[in-house]
Amino acid sequence: MSLSAYVPIVWLLALAAAFGLFSVGIAPFVGPRRFNRAKLEAYECGIEPTPQPIGGGRFPVKFYLTAMLFIIFDIEIIFLYPWAVSFDMLGVFGFFEMVIFIITVAIAYAYVWRRGGLEWD
Amino acid sequence: MTPMWYIVLSAILFSVGAVGVLIRRNAIVLFMCIELMLNAANLALVTFSRINGTLDGQIMAFFVMVVAAAEVVIGLAIIMLIFRTRRSASVDDANLLKY
Amino acid sequence: MDKLKLPDMDYVALLPMLALFVAACLGVIIEALVPRRFRNIIQLVLSIVALAVAMFFVVKQSGEVVASKALTAGGAIMIDHAALFLQGALIVLGFVALLLFGERSLEFGGPFVAQAAVTVGSERDREQTGRELGSTETFPLALFSLSGMLLFVSANDLLTMFVALEVFSLPLYLLCALARRKRLLSQESALKYFLLGAYASAFFLFGVAMVYGFAKAVDFKAIHAEALLGEGNSLLLIIGLALLAIGLLFKVAAAPFHVWTPDVYQGAPTPVTAFMASCTKVAAFGGLLRVLYVGFDGLGWQFTPVLGAIAALTVLVGSILAVTQTDLKRLLAYSSVANAGYILIGVIAGQQLGLTSVLFYLVAYGFTVIAAFALISLVRDADGEATHLSRWAGLGARSPLYAGIFTFILLAFAGIPLTSGFIAKLSVFGAAIDGGQTWLVIIGVITSIILAFPYLRVVVMMWLSEPGESTPSVSIPGGLTSTALGIGTLATLVFGVVPGPLLDLAEKASSFVR
Repeated sequence: MSLSAYVPIVWLLALAAAFGLFSVGIAPFVGPRRFNRAKLEAYECGIEPTPQPIGGGRFPVKFYLTAMLFIIFDIEIIFLYPWAVSFDMLGVFGFFEMVIFIITVAIAYAYVWRRGGLEWD
Repeated sequence: MTPMWYIVLSAILFSVGAVGVLIRRNAIVLFMCIELMLNAANLALVTFSRINGTLDGQIMAFFVMVVAAAEVVIGLAIIMLIFRTRRSASVDDANLLKY
Repeated sequence: MDKLKLPDMDYVALLPMLALFVAACLGVIIEALVPRRFRNIIQLVLSIVALAVAMFFVVKQSGEVVASKALTAGGAIMIDHAALFLQGALIVLGFVALLLFGERSLEFGGPFVAQAAVTVGSERDREQTGRELGSTETFPLALFSLSGMLLFVSANDLLTMFVALEVFSLPLYLLCALARRKRLLSQESALKYFLLGAYASAFFLFGVAMVYGFAKAVDFKAIHAEALLGEGNSLLLIIGLALLAIGLLFKVAAAPFHVWTPDVYQGAPTPVTAFMASCTKVAAFGGLLRVLYVGFDGLGWQFTPVLGAIAALTVLVGSILAVTQTDLKRLLAYSSVANAGYILIGVIAGQQLGLTSVLFYLVAYGFTVIAAFALISLVRDADGEATHLSRWAGLGARSPLYAGIFTFILLAFAGIPLTSGFIAKLSVFGAAIDGGQTWLVIIGVITSIILAFPYLRVVVMMWLSEPGESTPSVSIPGGLTSTALGIGTLATLVFGVVPGPLLDLAEKASSFVR
């Protein structure tokens, strides 16, 4: 067991810590501070965003729920696509594996549906 | 242009995310920093896949994306739950638990 | 086009995981279709049946492990003796913890909130606290989490491990937010757990990427071969292992990655805390063992000193901070941090002796900690559980039986002979001395003495103080909590008096197949 192998790591740690402290510490003094209205806005591809809805610019939470459900079902396509591309090669085994996968997703869908996650009001 | 530069880029992105989690206060921003870290790892996986000449890394990136999406949904649900009570997403306001 | 060579799937070997996963999916369907008042009992029965099926197949396979056939699912899963032992432990501990999930007699509607989405403090919230049945999604969530843990301890490559890590973590984050009482605390604990957990898993993932860059593959056999060969960019390997270790040490709650533990243990609903304290610890250490022993065995000398420092720090932080705590759940959280340190000492000890001691410690500690949290869920006042230490003063006079059981459990944590805690600590320290880590044993013994102080303070408080106005009553537990408490306490006693059978089992299990 040789501890000398750690000496470079200790050095690296010290250097990294020094660099981190230095950059965080110096930023307020040397960084330019130019006012730009877009900087204070919510990020919308760099342009100044369009006027937001009433009440502090918040969207109703329903949008959020729908978006969340969309993401979770949308992302599953990631597995369908490679499977579809090599469907011939994967054969029956691949087909049934994918059916099981889709059933699993459908169970989640049934849950969301029955518990009212898809209703707007 | 060697692919190694992409590894450097991914390391930088990862560090930006890691530091961001430590110095930012808004839970949503924290969360975006974590996503940045995951995507940095994705970039590294895909690049190594290219360097190594195997496809494994690209497939791994798929899995990571799906996991990240599931994480987003759960994370945002928790953050929203807190936000609706406190009207604030600052992690400094979540201070009931201490000794 | 040619057919691809299909991965070999040994479905029997995967059945424990599949059983839990299918049961969890069925549980989701039940949530969608069955009226609310029947759900609790149906979910509970379904979960127990699934766990029984899973346990049956684990036991069945444990007699038939063949090293050449242990690898399955296209090389992603390794069902060896260690994996089966850990899976069995997870299933049994998960069963005991799930009994606490189903308890409905302590307060109306059980320990979980009816509608987590209802804003805390609103009119609607006050209405549901007292009058609505708790949500039963907790059962499928716990089952998903358990199936992830089973996968985690048997994963043979880092990607499977990452996916399993998330599968068992994500439901836990949600479970933390579902307490019926003190919902703000519960939600806050979920937020903290989630943010830190996701942070740690991002480190783990980047570690996976680095190791992939080094070894051109992520399965442990290839990593091991490449690490022994010593070619390739060893910088990537070291960075990768360090990042992986951060992710895993976070899950086992080792210092300095332990900061979430007290907050989460305190804020989460007590059944969930029991589940986390026992099962997550088993799963996380199972994963850590596999990574270190199977994947990075060739790097032994390089990570041992670092892990040793972490273990020493963990036992010190856990035991010293436990002394200052005034809340019982926080106290147990710091004790759990310290225990993670003791288990880490066993991990570092290495060899078969170290492995055996770690496996024994995990099971013994799991049972004791479930019993402890089951008892905490019994001591209540009008606002739910009374966890502040001062409230427990004089409990011995109020209800000697439960105070006696809690005293026994605390003595087990402190490592007094005739409890499983004693045997566990003894075997871990013995293995560490054998492995040449005497300095860790010295620190371990010193911190055990420090740690005994907060435990004994609680004992003294319960027995030697007069019960006051504010001393809460101990609720009469329902059948489920009594069973869980009974199993936990009995296991603590039995493993302390006759540790032989479990030690033999652990010894038999202490071999990984590469």
